[in-house]
Amino acid sequence: MTHDHDHDHDRTVKPMVDEITDFEVLEIALRELCIEKGIFTAEEHRRFTEFAEQIGPTPAARLVARAWLDPDFKALALAEPMTASKEVGVDWMEPTGFGTPSDFTAFQILEDTADIHNVIVCALCSCYPRPILGNSPEWYRTPNYRRRLVRWPRQVLAEFGLYLSDDISVRVQDSNQKHRFMVMPMRPDGTDGWSEDQLAEIITRDCLIGVALPKPGVTTNAVTQTRPAIHPAGD
Amino acid sequence: MSTAAERAEQLALVARLRSSYPELPDAPTPDLLDHGRLTAYLKPVHDVGGEPDAPMTYENKQYEYWEHMTYVICEVLAWRGIWLSEERRRIGNVDVGRAVYLGLPYYGRWLLAVARVLVEKHHIGLTELSERMAEVTARYPDGLAGRTLEARPRSAGDGSGVTRNTHHLHAVGKGDPQVYAGQAGTPRFSVGDAVTVRELPVLFYTRTPEYTRGARGEIAAVAYESPAAEDETWDRPDAKPEWFYVVRFTLADLFDGYTGTGTDTLQTEIPEHWLEEASA
Repeated sequence: MTHDHDHDHDRTVKPMVDEITDFEVLEIALRELCIEKGIFTAEEHRRFTEFAEQIGPTPAARLVARAWLDPDFKALALAEPMTASKEVGVDWMEPTGFGTPSDFTAFQILEDTADIHNVIVCALCSCYPRPILGNSPEWYRTPNYRRRLVRWPRQVLAEFGLYLSDDISVRVQDSNQKHRFMVMPMRPDGTDGWSEDQLAEIITRDCLIGVALPKPGVTTNAVTQTRPAIHPAGD
Repeated sequence: MSTAAERAEQLALVARLRSSYPELPDAPTPDLLDHGRLTAYLKPVHDVGGEPDAPMTYENKQYEYWEHMTYVICEVLAWRGIWLSEERRRIGNVDVGRAVYLGLPYYGRWLLAVARVLVEKHHIGLTELSERMAEVTARYPDGLAGRTLEARPRSAGDGSGVTRNTHHLHAVGKGDPQVYAGQAGTPRFSVGDAVTVRELPVLFYTRTPEYTRGARGEIAAVAYESPAAEDETWDRPDAKPEWFYVVRFTLADLFDGYTGTGTDTLQTEIPEHWLEEASA
């Protein structure tokens, strides 16, 4: 009877197992074979991993904050954005000597004015200025955002809580080839006398994509909900 | 080991997967397929801009370890001259076909592209890949159970015999697209010129969005020199660099029934051979 009991128990109570997924298996198999064949070394893989782990939106926020405070730096940021990036610690040629290959080394900063609001998308894949903004958020890569932003930008921006009046023109930048773009929003009212650190805090990643505007007191992105990854899926 | 019933169940699942016009039979005779539908079938599937879709809730998902490792392996393969980014973008975003493009997770397609390029370019055999996948699976019979995934290569190859591209050497210290600077001659267009996007036939690959083709715009910037994506994506050694332009379109001209203002604009990058002077 003990056996029957166990059997029944197994069928009704799922053991807590984090299933190994097909993608995990494939990634490990490919990495092992690449190292064994000398396609790349374990050391090269480790170096790029470490590089990729330290990228994020902090330098981009600092760049914009500094541009707000220093007109000369702002002129540099708009004319030579990769030179300006170096001053906030980002060398677009790292870590390979020719950049992060998927991001290329052509960077442009789009300046918002009182009349024009910029917002970026890559309708073909998910081109994004990784070296200075880190990895793109999940929603930025969805076919949904990519399909709709180029055609219904005001509706999509409204879904992020950004309502633009008719006297402000929307300018969508579809970054579909080798250029990478980032938005330089306007400095908001209520920030007189603020330091570079204080200003950088309200320049969120979403402000640099163009789906939000910086606002005193707001230091988080519009979409904050993060779902945990649980495997097996669908059970 | 699967049972016959499990195999049948999976086959039934595959059979329900549809990525075709329901009004047409499978493999229609040529007289059943009109130009519009044929163009739709041949459209590079990554080109989704402007396709109708309903609003959805945007949310983030916890980044999984294999997703991060997939990004890394793709970049390391480009760094070490196995592929160009433009090859990766085609293999993972277009060659997969519509069902896989829309059906798989983002990094799932990146990872399949790694397997594809390594097999196609004879770096690894498909047999050894599937054997290694079976072996990796066998290491975790009870799932991860709290353990972290670990790559355990049996050896380290010296890599001297591996075929690599020239780009990963030429671009060092210059960057890409700077590596192509000075090779395209004088740009045909200047800032402010009115241009029309040509309606060239599209087979297999392009990065000129369908929503711009036939539309009139204005040159906003003369951007850089580079081979056209259609040639660079096969790493053709004779691909000739050409000028790329940032072209500005008025959204109300681009999309029929545009609901924003008459001054809303869109900019995107287009290579010279896709552009012609707009008629007055």
